[in-house]
Amino acid sequence: MPSIVNSDDLAQKQLFLVLSEPAKIRERNIELIREISALGYRTIVITTNFPYSILSKLYAESGIDPKSVMFIDTVTRHSMGSVVNVPGVVHYIHSPSNLTDMGIAVTEALKGYPDKKVCILYDSISTMLIYLSSPNISKFIHFVTNKLRLMEISGIFLAVEKGLDPMLLTQLTTFVDKVIDMELPRP
Amino acid sequence: MIAVLESTGKIVAWNHAAEAITGYTAAEVVGNPAVWKNLYPDPGYRRDATKKFVDILAKKKYFENLETTIRTRSGGSRIILWNTKEVTLGGSTRIISVGVDITGQRQLDAFRESIIDNAYILLAVLGPGGTVLVWNKAAESITGYLRNEVVGKRDVWKKIYPDAGYRKTITRRIVDIISRQSYFENLETTIRTKSGEERIISWNTRRIGSYEEAHEIAIGRDITEQRKAEEALLAYISEMAMRLRQPIEIVSESLYEIAGLVREGKLSRDEIVTALEGQARNAGQIASNVSEFQKAIAEKNREIPEAYRKFLEG
Repeated sequence: MPSIVNSDDLAQKQLFLVLSEPAKIRERNIELIREISALGYRTIVITTNFPYSILSKLYAESGIDPKSVMFIDTVTRHSMGSVVNVPGVVHYIHSPSNLTDMGIAVTEALKGYPDKKVCILYDSISTMLIYLSSPNISKFIHFVTNKLRLMEISGIFLAVEKGLDPMLLTQLTTFVDKVIDMELPRP
Repeated sequence: MIAVLESTGKIVAWNHAAEAITGYTAAEVVGNPAVWKNLYPDPGYRRDATKKFVDILAKKKYFENLETTIRTRSGGSRIILWNTKEVTLGGSTRIISVGVDITGQRQLDAFRESIIDNAYILLAVLGPGGTVLVWNKAAESITGYLRNEVVGKRDVWKKIYPDAGYRKTITRRIVDIISRQSYFENLETTIRTKSGEERIISWNTRRIGSYEEAHEIAIGRDITEQRKAEEALLAYISEMAMRLRQPIEIVSESLYEIAGLVREGKLSRDEIVTALEGQARNAGQIASNVSEFQKAIAEKNREIPEAYRKFLEG
């Protein structure tokens, strides 16, 4: 099966927008983490739709080493109330709309891996659209991509393939190095 | 009305129409030089009018379309258009003055000009060769070009369409339409105002008169704000569609996925609750977004056409 992201591109700290069918977005998430982990990267997953507890279970089922993934979970705290952050494993924030806390959590997480190969996965821009307007998402992604480039870290932004406003899609396209549409045939 | 005067200004004849218009009978007027003080009671106005009469008569011995305002016996004002002719009868010089009461016409003109000037639409009347004859206040306000910069000239179109290519395209379209139906309706063009701003104008024209006498009336409605509102509306709808379709697809797929995991017995009670509450929160937020969009469209953007707003208000 062809890889989704190329190891050379990852090594060059490139940024990707990965588009998927809504029904396959979880599957794509797992495939990506499996590939990235196999290449020796640690991934910081920002999850805005599924809680850490379920995602980590699905990763484990797919043979992904739990140590290769750290989560920033924006789902669980809202439901469960008090949950305790586990350093290097999971950091909970209250809502996907809280971009300040999200930014702080990402910065803190990156501090934990100064010398390691790290990649960030945002799952997903489409869920963030529930909580943020497209101009705000665009501004946030612009901010994040600039930061990742400065820190020389690779990043992947997952989104549902169809239905993104052409204006937003155009803007997102300009922020990343590659757009990968998972539903198109790949070499 | 007809009045016959001696060269001294004394009235020797005063017809029935003159009586009807002024309210003064022939018996009161004929031979009475003081009548002029009654007809022109304001000393300043009378002085100016007299000077005008003297100046004209010094040159050509008759008046042609001289307009004065007289005061009638009842205190009203009438605008009279005078034409006179000097004749010699039996060795005596007489001035036959024919006065036409144009008060009604002047009031109508003033009313028409007021309508033209106060209309909230750009109104231009073009004479033969495209010379601008009328340029109303709205035309001044929309384009920034004042009446005295435009009337009597033909170059305003170059000013409001400074781009030669665009001007050519517009001209071609106008010529094409005119050749088929001699007028155009709702032709949209983008003009550049004197201050450099772009405005979208919807033009309608009509031809009045025929052949050499023909005039074109061009009526332009500034639809810039309407277009902006329509664009804003489209942007809103586009954003709303995206912020509904994608999240709903995600919520739907996530619920199927959770159901699948529950069916396979992979999730604990707490995990099921967390996952379902997460999706419930998403759904709640989507509903809140829809309300926010409706509110924004219905209340904040009053420029949006009524029909759209009603549709969006549900």
